[in-house]
Amino acid sequence: MKEVVPLAKASDTAIFGSKAVGLGDAARKGLSVPPGVALSGSIVEAVASGEERAIESVEKSVRPLPAPLAVRSSAVDEDGADASFAGQHLTLLNVPSVAEVSSAVREIWWSANSDSAITYRQRVGLFTRPSVGVVVQTLLDSDIAGVMFTLNPMNGADECMIEASWGLGEAVVAGLVIPDHYRIDRSGQVLERRPGRKKRAVRPLVTGDTFEEEVPPNLVEQLCLDDDQLAELHRLAIRCEEVYGPARDIEWAFAGGALYLLQCRAVTRVGI
Amino acid sequence: MAGAPVEALQHVPLFAELDRHEVEQIARLFKERRFAKGETVVREGSGGAAFFLIDSGEATVSVGGAPRTNLGPGDYFGEIALIDEGARSATITAVSELSCYGLTFWDFRPLVQENGAIGWKLLQSMAKKLRAAEQGASLS
Repeated sequence: MKEVVPLAKASDTAIFGSKAVGLGDAARKGLSVPPGVALSGSIVEAVASGEERAIESVEKSVRPLPAPLAVRSSAVDEDGADASFAGQHLTLLNVPSVAEVSSAVREIWWSANSDSAITYRQRVGLFTRPSVGVVVQTLLDSDIAGVMFTLNPMNGADECMIEASWGLGEAVVAGLVIPDHYRIDRSGQVLERRPGRKKRAVRPLVTGDTFEEEVPPNLVEQLCLDDDQLAELHRLAIRCEEVYGPARDIEWAFAGGALYLLQCRAVTRVGI
Repeated sequence: MAGAPVEALQHVPLFAELDRHEVEQIARLFKERRFAKGETVVREGSGGAAFFLIDSGEATVSVGGAPRTNLGPGDYFGEIALIDEGARSATITAVSELSCYGLTFWDFRPLVQENGAIGWKLLQSMAKKLRAAEQGASLS
């Protein structure tokens, strides 16, 4: 089905992929996610093929979203396991305008059909045609961002573990900094605050893409989250567990003073 | 752009036995793919997923780290991967911004499976290639 729908209407993983449906679930349950749309695997295929009607349909749906945009893959596969394709499929941050969305979608289609993706699929015994959905969202120019686990992935303890840094969350996800480290118990009490060394921050460029900015020396080892923000993150963790179940791996961001959920997956490994 | 230029595909030996209508059917399955300057297009030893025809830009071919040749508009690579998904025999790197038309195994296979005439002509092209390789080996 060649479809583009608002994230809140993405409910079928076989059509839109697990990332889109995960964000759709969040939007339906009142969690704050950046505004966005979900593209079905078949419309992604059509855009990659250069079909004018598909390109027009995507551009029309994306136009109301405040730019810049983040264009992310949402794997559509028989096991629905988007996480297993992490690193194989592409995310394009900071696509500056609607005009660049179709080429970003085409790049994502190719990332699911690249040599490395095919080699990976063969290795794990997947011999079916790859299909990839896409999520297009407003890219938040976040002040602080990071990851949060509702179960400590290091030792399995029943507590929230948070890693945070300045700017976009890619600084934490890609390991560009030593992030601040926080632990919060189930009641919301902060157990640990350990400042990291956050020398760089990833920021969006006006022309597209991102760049790494040097963090002012006084902020490098200053904790980036205060008590109120930690309390908000704790509430988000509890709410995500209510919606999705226990042991969640969450990407989040503070932008303009508001907390946003960027992604919520199951914790796949404990004891790393 | 949607699909690849038929005239360029008619120069690819694998498609040499096909008539224009058959090449047009294949051409429609191609998708545009762009590579940045310096990007690895295919890596030697990696599983092959697609055949590429260069539209614009240049690339270098190397085997075992040793440069072999350069590729430019109208050149192509990876046609055997369309049939066997086998490992890449060379590394190809974009030396400028590179725009290609790409055809994946997944898109090509259904067309051949549904069209026996195309399948037979591809088999003839492969047989010619094999015979030429055998003759080359016996002469050397």
